Amino acid sequence: MSRQPDFSTAPRCSRVPAWESLAVGAGLVAVVLAAGGAWRAREEAQSARSRLTEVRREVEAAAARQRILEARARGPARGLAAAEAPPARIVADLASAIPAGVRLERLLIDYLRDGALEMHVVARDAASWDRLLARLEGAPCLREVQPGPEAREGEVRTVVRARWVGGGP
Amino acid sequence: MQSAIIQPARGTVKPRPREAPGRWLPAPTLALQRLYHWSVALLGTRLYVGLDASSVIAAALGEGLGGRRVRAFARVPLEPGALAPSPSGPNLQRADEVRGAVRRAAEGLGRRATLVLPDGVARVALVEVPDGADPRDYVLFRLAASLPFPAAEAIVDALAAGGRRAVGAAVRRATVAEYEQAAAAAGLEVERVHLAPLVALAGLMRAGARDAVHAVLGDVAMCLAAFRGGVPFAVRSRWRDRSSGEASRLRREAARAAALAGDGKEPARLVVSGAEATRLRQELGESAGLALSGLADWPEAGEPPSWLGGLVS
Repeated sequence: MSRQPDFSTAPRCSRVPAWESLAVGAGLVAVVLAAGGAWRAREEAQSARSRLTEVRREVEAAAARQRILEARARGPARGLAAAEAPPARIVADLASAIPAGVRLERLLIDYLRDGALEMHVVARDAASWDRLLARLEGAPCLREVQPGPEAREGEVRTVVRARWVGGGP
Repeated sequence: MQSAIIQPARGTVKPRPREAPGRWLPAPTLALQRLYHWSVALLGTRLYVGLDASSVIAAALGEGLGGRRVRAFARVPLEPGALAPSPSGPNLQRADEVRGAVRRAAEGLGRRATLVLPDGVARVALVEVPDGADPRDYVLFRLAASLPFPAAEAIVDALAAGGRRAVGAAVRRATVAEYEQAAAAAGLEVERVHLAPLVALAGLMRAGARDAVHAVLGDVAMCLAAFRGGVPFAVRSRWRDRSSGEASRLRREAARAAALAGDGKEPARLVVSGAEATRLRQELGESAGLALSGLADWPEAGEPPSWLGGLVS
């Protein structure tokens, strides 16, 4: 049923009014513009997301750095953090704690485990070994002193584990 | 199209509008008028050429977002007898005269045109199309017995009239061809062919016609449509008898049309538009109103044909 009946002898497809064509064209242009805008917005969102991740990483690094600095700033009693202590400083602290008759043969410093130390020592006799343990346990720069298995063949060979915590300026 | 710059051809009536069109702009500024004209020029104009016994009328209608508006109008009178609307016999009695009138009316208004055939060339009926039926087939089935020509020669179409109702019409192919050939000989390219009463009825429905019997008058025939709720519930086509007493005969016809499907409780209100509607309205008195008016901006153009009112309603 036609909107307005056509009685022509050779009916042809109805011509779409120009304004309707224009409206459709304008609608298509609007859709294309909207799609372009949406695409740009999506890219901006992705860029912003990656930037946010980067900034978060920077913030976390800055916070870690801040924690270190705060720990350093808390006072001289605590001294240097283990992660930042130079090996020479740790060796010097150990040297002051090792008594006569004891030789430090090998020292491992594990900075990833917050200054964990593994000392391979040789004591001339059991008394020297006992003095060493007493000195190490009493040293303010060391914590968690754990003597390992001993090998006694005249002299005492063993491994001592401890954690260097500083304590000086 | 700027109607003001169109020069009337000899013998035609091409009045200028009272003011620049402003039905939707009560007091348009010059800038707004220019904007309106540019928009209409941009959005397109369509030419309608209507033929009837007394004249050929060409109207260029701007089609825009605000609806159709008459941008240019021309009426070329025909000598009596040059065109005689008929459903079966030849309509163009003096084809040369009609072709000349078409040419003069459409001159300068465009080449592509929609023809509007007059009242009286078609059989018209209001039908209720059954579910699943093709409206055109059903209209032809209903009208076939009353056609004054073989049904195989009919061109049928239908106008939706609310729900499953449709106003269907059948025209003889040879009759349509006669008008199309006249238009083609006058230099027009015919895009569509409409029927004056159906165009008027479509306008009435679009405008939400009030409950009344609407008499849509052509020069030789008329269509009576009883409306309720903005849609027709009865439609009749009648030949006109323009002799003395036409108004009272029209009132009786309207009452019969209303009684066909109405409850008959109230006297039928009659609304008249089309050829000589002003005279009939005066004779009928206050109860008759104006149904369709297409030339509010063209007072010099006189009484507009009902189809033109239907187009711009």
